Amino acid sequence: MTGIIETRGLVKRYDGELAVAGIDLVVAAGEIYGLVGPNGAGKTTTMRILATLLAPTAGEAMVCGVGVTSDPIEVRRRIGYMPDFYGVYDDMRVWEYLDFFARCYSVPAARRVGMIGELLEIVGLGDRRDSYVEALSRGMRQRLCLAHTLVHDPQLLILDEPASGLDPRARVEMREILRELSGMGKTILVSSHILPELAELCTSVGIMDHGRLLRSGRIEDIERSLRATALLRIEVLSDPAAAIEWLGTDERVGDVLDVSGAGLTRLDVPFDGSADEQAALLRSMIQAGHLVSSFSQTTSDLEEIFLKVTGQDGNEETAA
Amino acid sequence: MTTATLSREPRLPRLREFGWSVTTIMVKELRSRFRGRRAFVIITVYLGVLALIAYGVYAVVAPQAQMQAQFGGGGFANASATIGQAIFLLLSIFQMLLVGFIAPAFTSGAISLEREKQTLDLLVTTPMRPGGIIVGKLLAALAFVGLMIVAAIPISGLVLMYGGAAIDDIVRQQVVLLVTALGLGAIGLFWSALIKRTQAATVLTYVTVLGLVVGTAMIFIFWSIVSTRDADNQFGTPRLAPEQLLWVNPAVAMMDVVANTELGGFGAFSSLMSTLQGGGSSGVVCDGDTCFQADGSGFVSGPVGAGGVVVPLDCPPNARCGVAGDDLAVFQPQPVSGHFWTRFVVSFAGISLLLTLASMRLVVPAPMRFVFRRRRPAKAMREAIPPAEAD
Repeated sequence: MTGIIETRGLVKRYDGELAVAGIDLVVAAGEIYGLVGPNGAGKTTTMRILATLLAPTAGEAMVCGVGVTSDPIEVRRRIGYMPDFYGVYDDMRVWEYLDFFARCYSVPAARRVGMIGELLEIVGLGDRRDSYVEALSRGMRQRLCLAHTLVHDPQLLILDEPASGLDPRARVEMREILRELSGMGKTILVSSHILPELAELCTSVGIMDHGRLLRSGRIEDIERSLRATALLRIEVLSDPAAAIEWLGTDERVGDVLDVSGAGLTRLDVPFDGSADEQAALLRSMIQAGHLVSSFSQTTSDLEEIFLKVTGQDGNEETAA
Repeated sequence: MTTATLSREPRLPRLREFGWSVTTIMVKELRSRFRGRRAFVIITVYLGVLALIAYGVYAVVAPQAQMQAQFGGGGFANASATIGQAIFLLLSIFQMLLVGFIAPAFTSGAISLEREKQTLDLLVTTPMRPGGIIVGKLLAALAFVGLMIVAAIPISGLVLMYGGAAIDDIVRQQVVLLVTALGLGAIGLFWSALIKRTQAATVLTYVTVLGLVVGTAMIFIFWSIVSTRDADNQFGTPRLAPEQLLWVNPAVAMMDVVANTELGGFGAFSSLMSTLQGGGSSGVVCDGDTCFQADGSGFVSGPVGAGGVVVPLDCPPNARCGVAGDDLAVFQPQPVSGHFWTRFVVSFAGISLLLTLASMRLVVPAPMRFVFRRRRPAKAMREAIPPAEAD
């Protein structure tokens, strides 16, 4: 078995609308795999297929070596799934909530009591055992829902936007819990539309847009391959047309964009080169007679990279 | 540290898996339902009202019954039995109303509420059998209604003090009530599983209940009137709609049970049951040597057939007027009560079963339901590859 999750040509259509357009996703055991993409990219659909809530229109999906359509019940026994939107039952205490789901997974009574205590400790709700579920704050509910995915000690957790709607502190807490779970040997598939959040946590990421998996791999590899192209912002006092023309002669420079405004001449210059090469570019540009008043790399964080990747999906045919 | 630290639960056999799902859901539902004082208060109030009704009936009926028993002549039951029957009748009607309103209310939100509160996804991603979820929901709802019905048995038992209704009457009453609760519960559950919104599901459930109780009766009457006025039917002989229509009517079943308490099948309900079964108003009911018109219009004056059975003068041209032995037409008295409630129990139980099975299919995540039908990999794949200029 090469991956705990393996999909081949996964396709999902809703009434002719293509939500997932042929995804080949492989997640190896022990990874924290982050699925990132804008809203409507197909993340949730992919996860719901893996959680046996949706049947794929075409293609296959295997979870822990079991096909999601051939034996959904077996798949359900092996995964813990946390949907992006969910509710809680009224009139239920925290321990009853977990007890109920433990029963759902036919965990024997003798094991349930101790396990509920352990899980509540893991997610930091140890002192909320007898609170009513509907009285919990958003962050606590989120953690309770995470605890519910663990009652049957699954190999794989599928968490759809576990940090959505949380304040920064709660996000950090959630991240810590996920790290801890990963340390316990669980494979985690987590989605988010906020990339930096995942970048700190995940071992691998997949970038999705329009139902396609645009990039997938170890996070360092993706960052390196994308960071290579930096976006430079150059302000010139001399003739911008001449500057653009001059920049165009350098083969490391991509399409220069004139973003002038408010009396300033600004150019956005995609540049494929290291920091040293950027410095060299600046020197030669000044030597060429252009009056450069500002030369900087725009804060090229992962989010921007992500926007860049998803922005060029039209000509992106290789879903790596 | 790559594999799970705890051992995985072994998979149970299918049937045990099903039973486990049922109890899991029931425990959860009942825990919430019986929490706090609510359930306790509801049952107390309900029993109080029933007891008041029983007392009220006694207060109203007792003086009348005594008068009738003294001056009414034959044909009237003794005072005590009249009181007993009246109490039995009123309690039956009231409990029937209760079941009719409460049983659907408990189930018509069972699934749709889970959908609305977005808890259904969590539930169906557990390995529980959908059938177990549905049956657990149904039984949990019925447990409360059932408790109310069973808790009221001692009040129905008051009847035994007065006479007029026997233990077997009370048993029949309980059976009809419980089956009604089951059937109406299953109807609510079905709509709840089919319709996304609880409000709509609730409305449809009550419309269905109304249709069963009032609708079938209206259709029956209308149908009968129309076919009696048929052009061929020159003499206007009553022709009835198929009585199967009424097999699903819980009210008719309860009337049937009540009719059984009427002495010698003489009384308003017996007459009605007799009419529904095609006996017509000319039906004759015998109690020992005495025979009555079933509609209570008086004694029968006609030739007495073999075995002391009266042959009606205007023997209607239907099967009940057979020829036995000589050329003498013999009216064969049919037991007028006990006909409908048994058929009701069977058909309502059948309907409940079908609706429950349908609900099981519906609670499976919607797109998974047709997974086999939708699997056309080759075609789907061809469609899946969008044209190159995608967006």
